[in-house]
Amino acid sequence: MSDTETPQTPVHDVIMIGAGPAALSAAVYTTREDIDTLLFERGAVGGLAAVTDWVDNYPGFPDGLQGLELAENLRKQAERFGAVIELGEVSKITDEGAYKRLETTEGDMLARAVLIATGSDYKKIGVPGEKEFYARGVHYCATCDGAFYRDKRIVVVGGGNSAVQEAMFLTRFASHIDLLVRGEKFRASEILQHDLEKFKDKITVHFNTATDEIVGEEGKVVKVIGTDKTTGNKVEVPTDGVFVFVGLIPNTQFLAETAIELDEVGFVKTDTHLQTAMPGVFAAGDVRSGATMQIATATGEGASAALYMREYLNDHPVEDAAIEAKKTY
Amino acid sequence: MAKKITIFTTNTCTYCVQVKRWLAAKGHAWEEINLDEHPERQAEALEVSGALTVPVVVITKHDDSQEVVVGYNLAKLAPAVA
Repeated sequence: MSDTETPQTPVHDVIMIGAGPAALSAAVYTTREDIDTLLFERGAVGGLAAVTDWVDNYPGFPDGLQGLELAENLRKQAERFGAVIELGEVSKITDEGAYKRLETTEGDMLARAVLIATGSDYKKIGVPGEKEFYARGVHYCATCDGAFYRDKRIVVVGGGNSAVQEAMFLTRFASHIDLLVRGEKFRASEILQHDLEKFKDKITVHFNTATDEIVGEEGKVVKVIGTDKTTGNKVEVPTDGVFVFVGLIPNTQFLAETAIELDEVGFVKTDTHLQTAMPGVFAAGDVRSGATMQIATATGEGASAALYMREYLNDHPVEDAAIEAKKTY
Repeated sequence: MAKKITIFTTNTCTYCVQVKRWLAAKGHAWEEINLDEHPERQAEALEVSGALTVPVVVITKHDDSQEVVVGYNLAKLAPAVA
């Protein structure tokens, strides 16, 4: 027993770090099995799905639905079966054998099994001006900040699904959008590219265009300087704001000093049962090495992880007396 | 407790929903200024926050001093409304 134990140290069967689609789906499964489940979320319940304008490819919704609506539905479903969602941040996981200790902003907590489902965040491009004008002309959330660009010009950087989807969303505010795509073609799905055609009067696509610098004057963004990769020539795009969607980075900084193994990019490595290098700790969704970064696959992985955690809990029973000792020490 | 809490929001801002949910859970009341419904007040939001983003939470204390929390930041919001 640790010297730092307090009489109030909460003990749960399962603690899920994150409350995005993977964790919420896993929670539906664990709580329906009467497994005591706590979810710990530092940002938005629903994760990146909740800040996505529109989700068109989630099975079962033939007309698509708002990302926020999908997130709310997942939350309600998990809570209906007894999942508890707390707002706060986990800073460390330590293996104490039958229990994993989580150091959190709400104090230490103990769990018999843990699910890491912290997802990912939008990547920065790392060019001059990006940091300086953060939230004052450079943005990573169209649904949060788009309203500040009514009748103004916007540059969107990126060529994947998020960039195309959010550029189309931003047309409801902006007078014109320049979409800067580094590659010679989109990585976005065919259907999104087809939808983009409907906005050709408002969105100008610049392929083979690298973004080199975001330039401001008197505290405001005024243009983006890039390079036309086909000619090597510099290009300048006048704009009032820049929205960046160039890929995802995993939210795994808090795992750096733990026994949980990460891949070279920082995603969590798991075995075929979604278990990490720390026994009893599982991972699912965008944070997992090899994930396909889709909401549908995140919910599927969450369900799978829940079943594997149930198996783990059954194979690693803890005596009631040991639980009581943890609770009252 | 704060004397008054004002939140600048938009219709599509998920983090605004999260902030309001957190404040409600902690028993706080607030005045909401929806910038989609009142775009003429965007300049006010920018002036108090220095940022083109929402949510912006303005906490007026009992001594009438103000604290501004930009974004969904519970580490700053919790002590500010305490």
